[in-house]
Amino acid sequence: MVFEPPPIEPSSLEPADQPPDPNRHPIRVVVTDDLHRSRLTVGFRLLLSIPLWIWLVIWSIGVFFAAIVNWFLTLIKGRSPLSLHDFFASYIRFTTHLHAYFFFAADPYPTFTGKPGYPVDVEIDPPERQNRWKTLFRIVLVIPAAAIAGALVGAPGGGGNSSSYDDQSSGTSSWESGATFVSGLFVLSVLVWFACLARGRAPHGMRDLFAYGLRYAAQTWGYLFLLTDRYPNSDPTEPPADIPEEPRPVRLAVNDDLRRSRLTVFFRLLLFLVHLFWLVLWGIAVFFASIANWFATLAIGRSPRLLHRFIAAYVQYIVHVYAYVFLIANPFPGFVGAPGTYPIEVEIDGPERQHRLKTLARLFLALPAFLISGTLNAVLFFVAFFGWFVGLFLGRMPLGFRNVGAWALRYGAETNAYLFLLTDVYPYSGPWEFAPPRPVPPPPEFEPEPEPAFT
Amino acid sequence: MIPDGLELPDVKETSLFPTSTLSQAESYERFVRWDFVLAQVVVIAVVAVYARIGPKFVRESAAGPIGTGMLLAMLGLGLVWLLQLPFGLAEFWWQRRHDVTLASYQEWIVNGWFGLGAEFLFVCLAILIVVGIAQVIGDWWWLPGGAAFVALAALFSFVLPYLIPGQEPLRRPALQASANSYEHQLGLDDIPIKVQDVGGETTAPNAEAVGLGPTRRVILWSTVLRRPFTLDEQQVVVAHELGHHARKHIVKGVAWYALFAIPGAFLISRITRRRGGMRNPEAVPLGLLALVVLSTLALPLQNVITRHMEAEADWVALTLTQDPQDAEGLFKRFTYAAHADPSPPTWSYILLETHPTGLQRIEMARAWRAREQSTP
Repeated sequence: MVFEPPPIEPSSLEPADQPPDPNRHPIRVVVTDDLHRSRLTVGFRLLLSIPLWIWLVIWSIGVFFAAIVNWFLTLIKGRSPLSLHDFFASYIRFTTHLHAYFFFAADPYPTFTGKPGYPVDVEIDPPERQNRWKTLFRIVLVIPAAAIAGALVGAPGGGGNSSSYDDQSSGTSSWESGATFVSGLFVLSVLVWFACLARGRAPHGMRDLFAYGLRYAAQTWGYLFLLTDRYPNSDPTEPPADIPEEPRPVRLAVNDDLRRSRLTVFFRLLLFLVHLFWLVLWGIAVFFASIANWFATLAIGRSPRLLHRFIAAYVQYIVHVYAYVFLIANPFPGFVGAPGTYPIEVEIDGPERQHRLKTLARLFLALPAFLISGTLNAVLFFVAFFGWFVGLFLGRMPLGFRNVGAWALRYGAETNAYLFLLTDVYPYSGPWEFAPPRPVPPPPEFEPEPEPAFT
Repeated sequence: MIPDGLELPDVKETSLFPTSTLSQAESYERFVRWDFVLAQVVVIAVVAVYARIGPKFVRESAAGPIGTGMLLAMLGLGLVWLLQLPFGLAEFWWQRRHDVTLASYQEWIVNGWFGLGAEFLFVCLAILIVVGIAQVIGDWWWLPGGAAFVALAALFSFVLPYLIPGQEPLRRPALQASANSYEHQLGLDDIPIKVQDVGGETTAPNAEAVGLGPTRRVILWSTVLRRPFTLDEQQVVVAHELGHHARKHIVKGVAWYALFAIPGAFLISRITRRRGGMRNPEAVPLGLLALVVLSTLALPLQNVITRHMEAEADWVALTLTQDPQDAEGLFKRFTYAAHADPSPPTWSYILLETHPTGLQRIEMARAWRAREQSTP
């Protein structure tokens, strides 16, 4: 299936008084942010957030002890007590608000109580009965989700607070307290800081990426603190991302059925070796072709068709091979990057006119995209690592893992296409492929012309 | 050259080694032998099963015939590796128990994994040649394919000296002077003598002659340069390895390989015709089975060739060093250090022994001495 922004019938958009989807996750992030940013608060955001961080540290001390009590009570009673549930829910909301503020995913200064209504907010369902086995082993079960959330956002509760409930002499506290500040989203927030200062608006795609990261982190901490026994969902369909206004020259196409061959999963890394070898050899040729392409695009204002095709095949091949080694797809890929041959691939438009100034500075301009790609690749790595075990035991890849991996691959392909001058449209970081379809405005009501009066 | 009609004297092993040493060597080797036999049986069984079920894995590939062939070949090798793991582990445990290896289990696992990676790359190259050529000329692939494999073997022999890690120049002036003298006597150009540090991995003594033409060299394992080996014994080792170069054994080895590879490729092309020939990737598992069976059948013949070459190098070493006593001492030490059975059972000798037995080597040293003494 190729992800286009398909229109849907207006009738299906009816809000409807239907009961909530029973499959929906009990912890959800709701985004009502309008992307507007105050340049003044953006400029001083790091300093402005200091009181919030201090409060988070103090709160986290209470959370640590309450989490132990909650674990025993949930194990005995089979559900989290309402008072403790609300306490953790407020804590997770506050943590999410703080991170949204700190990462420029929202603009208003958050309250210290985690009061609902923030532009990037968390909805948490009331406590429900939980499986006692899952409660007993929660600290182990949470590890894969915590690794992914850690790569995105940092340590539980935002990382900055974690030192409070660690043994100070253990040496781990300084690592955890710095986790937020080395997490993927923090690195990206530096880019967003510049963008917000310059334009007074947050980039749309980045805001959606941050919202995804915060949602996944909120679900992970909710799982850790026993607010639910539903595992965090890595599928980038939630919270709904926006579809970019302009058509994208690099689009993801997914035809994967999630089935994985256990034998090839077991040997996946070694089976990749021959492709790695070929990737390097072809990469050398692409390096020289890219230099030629740079000169040609600068001279004639568009990439020559032959070079475009050669480099696009390489970009396509990278997607095939990475999809294979990171378990986002199952079949052994071919060696020529032929379009239409692989379950996970990107469609790349033909050569278009490109802005010469953008071409001139392409290497420099591509650097932020590489940073974003690096963050998504860190998630891709964890997805592959944990997906390897799942694939080996179940013979399937979880849908969420597959989708987040496909998103990372598409962004990587867009970045490569931008670097290699296949397009001058900047990579879009939000998971728009997984966004709900854009509504089609209803046709204007037919108003019959007034009948001429017979005279 | 070993003189025609050279008769080896009949030496009793009990006259050379204490009974305890012999029983220990026999016990050690018995385990290794049966472990090998069982592993070989499992390999053939696994590859036979894979020849039947392997074609199903075609659906796991989105690649063309060459890529799919590579996948099927790698999966076959991977399965063999997986099912051989217990045997490999058992052998490694046995070697550790007898202090033949000093490597840890972690090193064994990592090395095994890297080794499998190298095998995967090699088999991909082989499939690229075979299936690639078969796409163009069909069942006649065996002719240029066989030639290509021979060329690859020659290339591999040429570059092998650069692929062996941890080589240092020989820093023993006396031994180097002897090596220079032997090279001069053999009419060889200056051949570098290198030392490979294997101290952290094994206690077994070994040395090898590698390379072709300008890349020729002798590599001594660091274990040979340590006690209890004396300088005279080390000279025998160096002379033996230079003997390989003087007799052009590596070139001859490539030539012998050609004599096996080209008919072998022909047989594989015939066998795989029932699956559409090697142009069809579904024939790759059957081709793999044919290769394993043919290699096993060829093993005794290959061992005859290598044993002859080793005996020839021993004779050259005896002629150069004029020291049968130390040669005999060296061969005895091999028995002690590597727990080598000086007279293994005949079936093991035929299937497994790439070198003459310890007893045969000692007999050759005595035959050389007797011959020298009888010559006026």
